[in-house]
Amino acid sequence: MAAVSFSNVTKEYTSDGIRAVDELNLEIDDGEFLVLVGPSGCGKSTALRMIAGLEEVTDGELAIGDRIVNEVPPGDRDIAMVFQNYALYPHMTVRDNIAFALQVAKLPKPEIRERTQKAAAMLGLTEYLDRLPKALSGGQRQRVAMGRAIVRSPQVFLMDEPLSNLDAKLRVQMRSEIIQIQKRLGTTMVYVTHDQIEAMTMGHRVAVMRKGILQQVAPPQRLYHEPANLFVAAFIGSPSMNLLTCFVGGTASHPVVEVAGHRIGIDARALDRYPRLADSMGEQVIVGIRPEHFAMAGDIDVPEDQHITVHVELAEAMGSEVHIHTPFAVPPVSVEGAPVNAEDEDQIDTSVTHVIARVEGVHVVENDSDARLAVKSHLFHFFDPASGQPLR
Amino acid sequence: MTIVGDAVDFGESIRARTAEPDHDLGVSIRVLAVWHVVGALACAAGVMLARRGGEAELPWMPKYALLGFFSAALVANVASAYGVSARTRWARPTSLAVNYLVAVVGATTTLHLFDAYRSIGSLGDGLYKAFLPFLVVCVGMIWVLVAGQLLANRPTASGPLLLRKAGWSLTAVAFVWFVVAANPSGLIDTVGRSITRPLTLGALALTVGASLATRLMWSRAAARHFGTSRSTQEALTGLAFLSPNLFGFLVFFAFPLLFSLVVSFFDWETTNTSREFIGFGNYVRALSLDVSGASRANAGTEVLKPGYQVLMNLDWLGQHWVLGARDVEFWLSMRNIMVFLVLAVPLAVLPGLVLSSVLASKLPGMKVFRAIYFVPSVAGVIGVSIIWGQMFDATIGWINYLLDLVGLSSPGQGHGWLTQRSTALVSMVVVFAWMNFGFNTILYLAGHQAIPKELYEAAEIDGANVWQIFRRITVPQLRNTTFYVLITTSIMALQLFDIVWILSRPAPGGPNNATLTPVLTLYQEAFANNSQGYASALAWVLFIVIFGFTSVQFRQQRDQATSGGLS
Amino acid sequence: MARVGAYAGLVLVAVVVVFPFVVALATSTKNNDDIFRYPPTLVPSEPQTVESDSLTNIDDAGNDVPVYRLTGIDGQYALVDNDVSVAEFRPIDDLERVIRRPLDDAAETGDTVTIDGEEEDVYEVSVDDVTLVVYRSRVTSGGLFVNLDDPTDERIELINLAEPLTRFGPRLENFPEVIQDKQLGRAVSNTVLVTIAVVLGQIITSVLGGYAFARIEFKGRSGLFLLYLGSVMVPFVVLIIPLFQLMLQAGWLDNLAALIIPWVFTAYGTFLMRQFFIGIPKELEEAALIDGASRSRILWKVMVPLARPAIATLATFGFLYAWNSFFWPLVIINSGNPDGRVLSLALATLGGRSSTDVNLVFAGAIIAMTPPILVFLFAQRYFVENSASSGLK
Repeated sequence: MAAVSFSNVTKEYTSDGIRAVDELNLEIDDGEFLVLVGPSGCGKSTALRMIAGLEEVTDGELAIGDRIVNEVPPGDRDIAMVFQNYALYPHMTVRDNIAFALQVAKLPKPEIRERTQKAAAMLGLTEYLDRLPKALSGGQRQRVAMGRAIVRSPQVFLMDEPLSNLDAKLRVQMRSEIIQIQKRLGTTMVYVTHDQIEAMTMGHRVAVMRKGILQQVAPPQRLYHEPANLFVAAFIGSPSMNLLTCFVGGTASHPVVEVAGHRIGIDARALDRYPRLADSMGEQVIVGIRPEHFAMAGDIDVPEDQHITVHVELAEAMGSEVHIHTPFAVPPVSVEGAPVNAEDEDQIDTSVTHVIARVEGVHVVENDSDARLAVKSHLFHFFDPASGQPLR
Repeated sequence: MTIVGDAVDFGESIRARTAEPDHDLGVSIRVLAVWHVVGALACAAGVMLARRGGEAELPWMPKYALLGFFSAALVANVASAYGVSARTRWARPTSLAVNYLVAVVGATTTLHLFDAYRSIGSLGDGLYKAFLPFLVVCVGMIWVLVAGQLLANRPTASGPLLLRKAGWSLTAVAFVWFVVAANPSGLIDTVGRSITRPLTLGALALTVGASLATRLMWSRAAARHFGTSRSTQEALTGLAFLSPNLFGFLVFFAFPLLFSLVVSFFDWETTNTSREFIGFGNYVRALSLDVSGASRANAGTEVLKPGYQVLMNLDWLGQHWVLGARDVEFWLSMRNIMVFLVLAVPLAVLPGLVLSSVLASKLPGMKVFRAIYFVPSVAGVIGVSIIWGQMFDATIGWINYLLDLVGLSSPGQGHGWLTQRSTALVSMVVVFAWMNFGFNTILYLAGHQAIPKELYEAAEIDGANVWQIFRRITVPQLRNTTFYVLITTSIMALQLFDIVWILSRPAPGGPNNATLTPVLTLYQEAFANNSQGYASALAWVLFIVIFGFTSVQFRQQRDQATSGGLS
Repeated sequence: MARVGAYAGLVLVAVVVVFPFVVALATSTKNNDDIFRYPPTLVPSEPQTVESDSLTNIDDAGNDVPVYRLTGIDGQYALVDNDVSVAEFRPIDDLERVIRRPLDDAAETGDTVTIDGEEEDVYEVSVDDVTLVVYRSRVTSGGLFVNLDDPTDERIELINLAEPLTRFGPRLENFPEVIQDKQLGRAVSNTVLVTIAVVLGQIITSVLGGYAFARIEFKGRSGLFLLYLGSVMVPFVVLIIPLFQLMLQAGWLDNLAALIIPWVFTAYGTFLMRQFFIGIPKELEEAALIDGASRSRILWKVMVPLARPAIATLATFGFLYAWNSFFWPLVIINSGNPDGRVLSLALATLGGRSSTDVNLVFAGAIIAMTPPILVFLFAQRYFVENSASSGLK
């Protein structure tokens, strides 16, 4: 087991000059479960493949344990990788698939057998050992890929979207299995996904990337509650954070944000988290409101200036909660690569921002009606519109 | 399902188990440097020798080629010697290239000196003597394969296992029998006799030395010693994998291609050693034409320039003309092949277009027909030509008999298809088309796969009949396939040789040059008249014709594509 | 209705394709005296015979004698003696009539008569108890025929005027004969050797080269590959003279080495294998790299087992090419050394323009054509798919 460390690691493709990974600095601790997440093309897979040695490092240093591995071929790095399509050798039985690395390493035959059986037993594959991959179900193939990885006792596990080929139910199950395996083996794990639920539920820490640049590394909860920038704020959370360009009015001790005709008083506690908001009086800032920061008036106890009346365009009753879609007449804040809260992504009205509010499921909300909402303004996030940095 | 068991320890990481200690190359790297120095000295000697005229051994290889070779090797060896001792990064690729090439050339030479290549002929003797046991070995191996297949399906069954063991035993016994019957002692004799020659021993030593050096430099330890980057290592691996193929490509394709061009500018005879550079002389000789007006019909060579012979007489613009050429046979062969092309290509392509439309219909039995149509193109041109020779026979041939049955011929009065000038070439058109239409059918079938089925459905809904669908959908949609099929068939037709060789009467090209083809002319010039320079020029002319032909077709295709129509 | 028409057309074409092969098969099993017959037949036949024992008045026991039909006479006749002297007599008053008798079966009268200005002796012969006055127009050799149903019915006739009766009788000896007497056996074993060597060699070089082109990055790879592709455009005739010179220098003329070594390198095959390898998911290889496998191990343990269909295609192409090739052997094996001949060459020599042993030639042709046809039929799946998809030939 070993730590993985990126120092100023850059990957540049010579053919088109695109930097897939740009000056990445990241320390992955020994035994840590780190999830790399980001929209497609953000460089997360490239970063993973650089650890594996499948992509060469253009610049910077990549170390596994205390060894710099830039020039070490994949087979000598003592890592194991699970691919999105599993990459099982189709012509080999499950047994041979799992044992292949051991055979290449010329381990003694009894030990190969013992290790293979141990791994198979752990993954419940014992009765399938003599089958070919094509005779297995998707979940079983996934397990074989896992078995192939764990049997080598590698320093680091690398997983490249290992669950994205499974159906939703199986994905939930395998998620917990992978967590258990990692816990049991205590091996460092780097896990790439574009699915933020996987990212939030599995990792000790989550690293968010965008266009080759690392945005934030933090435990999931911190990522959610203290996004390092606009992108992370927009990317993490589902439905995602409502981002609105607003004008800051009121006084430095009692700021008020004005947006699309609404005036929302900001709770003083928000100023503790975002002190620089006080410097932005009379300026435009971007306010980030998570859907759960709304409630039906009366459900929570907040001052009167933290209420707004909105037009309900669409109310989605989900049982436990109701999602209220309401248009705000301000141009939407565009964050490249982040998901968009809109009914129809193809027809984004550039003058209207669709805000989603999540309220208690007990309420009956009619479409095309008006609703009075309370807001938990002490939880709001504030960002500088120019830099996207939080006003901390 | 959850993860079962509490086994969490899989033992040591396999890398920890197998990681080899960085062992030092130590003294061997110094030996390698010395090896390169010695190599450089040897190359220097080679340069001297080549300058003094060491070309006697290889009369066809110009002196400067040898000189260039040794000079390049000298430079590479000096560079390697320096690089290896100075431990530079580029030393490893350079030294590897030198040693690998030397090893390959050395091994090739050694085998040549051992007469190993020519003992393939003796191998033929052995195989002939032991053909029966050889067949049994084949049967045994097929047996093993089949048993292996059974075993793969049921890995634990004992029956197939036993079967496979039996197969192996049979193969082993038959192999022993084969070796005894083939009696390879002759082969061993040849090797044994040549091994004591000093030249052979030298070549062998060179090969072994270079191989050892290659192995040393190829090792991981050397890669670490010289700090070879992963991309360089990757490139070296790629070139190593490609190298057998690449050597063959260079020796048996690239070099002959250039050499052929060079020879075509020489008056070059197979046996005669004096070769004269004559520039475009061969080309001029082949292509020279002369037209002269004549006072009477059927005038002869007297009206032409000296050295020209009558190609044809024509009446045009109220005058008699004589068309003459220096090489009448070449022009005749070109005319013949053009006639052949115009007749044979449509006859070999159109049936493919039509038949594939039927075969694509997925009716039952289509695969059987497909297979049947393909058979002539795989059966072998010689066998097929021999059959057709009999079919076309004037007295007992089936063609005349079938004509007789419908009243177009009578016994004893049959037409001499192959012996008459008028029909000899046409007969070969028939054979060519018969052989090749099946292959073209398959190519067209592949084209059919790419036509969207909706097109047909839409056409049927629109009430189009079979012919309209064929004409308006199938043919235009298969345009690219047609283009490809036309080109490949034309290229084949232009190189017509085998069929003519077997079928023309009384001798290849006959009767009376009616079936003379360019390749036949070339063959006769090169191997009957031994004028290989001239034959090479003919080959290049033919090459250019073929090339031009494909480009004309390509242009047509492009024009049609832009105008949107297809004739 | 259209369907019936389609099938009829397909069957017609199939008949055109198959018929020459049927002719070949028939001819290859014919007897020597059966091959020049008109009209040609598809059924190999042999003379119908009968044991001479069954003819009571012949004591020359155990011999098979041929059976004939005599012109204008019903019944089958056995030819029991094919060399009796026959005299042809013509009645003096009817010079058109011919009476054939054994030479001493007529009595000389001692008279003479002048026919066409020649003086001829006069004989008497009895025909149906009528005695005719005849002269002897000619003495020739004829056959003694005995009626199979009535052994007392003996006739003397000219053999060439009688029609021999035949029955179905394939002559399978043609095959061993052409192999032994016509030295086709050596050609077969040579062809087998050449074909196996070429196929194996092509597989090895193409797999290695195709893998390098498909999956290993090195400088100049794409340029080199373009060169390979371009080489396919060059017709073989351009190369034949320099290749001949090369073989001459290497001392490989008349040697099988020349038929093998230049042909184990194939741009087509390299291209074929490259296309296939490119189609194999890259992750498989990456997984193997991570598993610590070397490039060669990846190639032989992972890629090659997966490439079996492509290799089968390549092997089929190589087989057909090597087995059927003619031009190059014709150039190389040019001294008439029969030990270096391959089948196509031996067959071309055997089936030369004035060959009389047509049945043997056809037996040779059948021997030469059967293996490629069988290989094609077995490997059809690969062959048809790939010749269609990559357009190789």
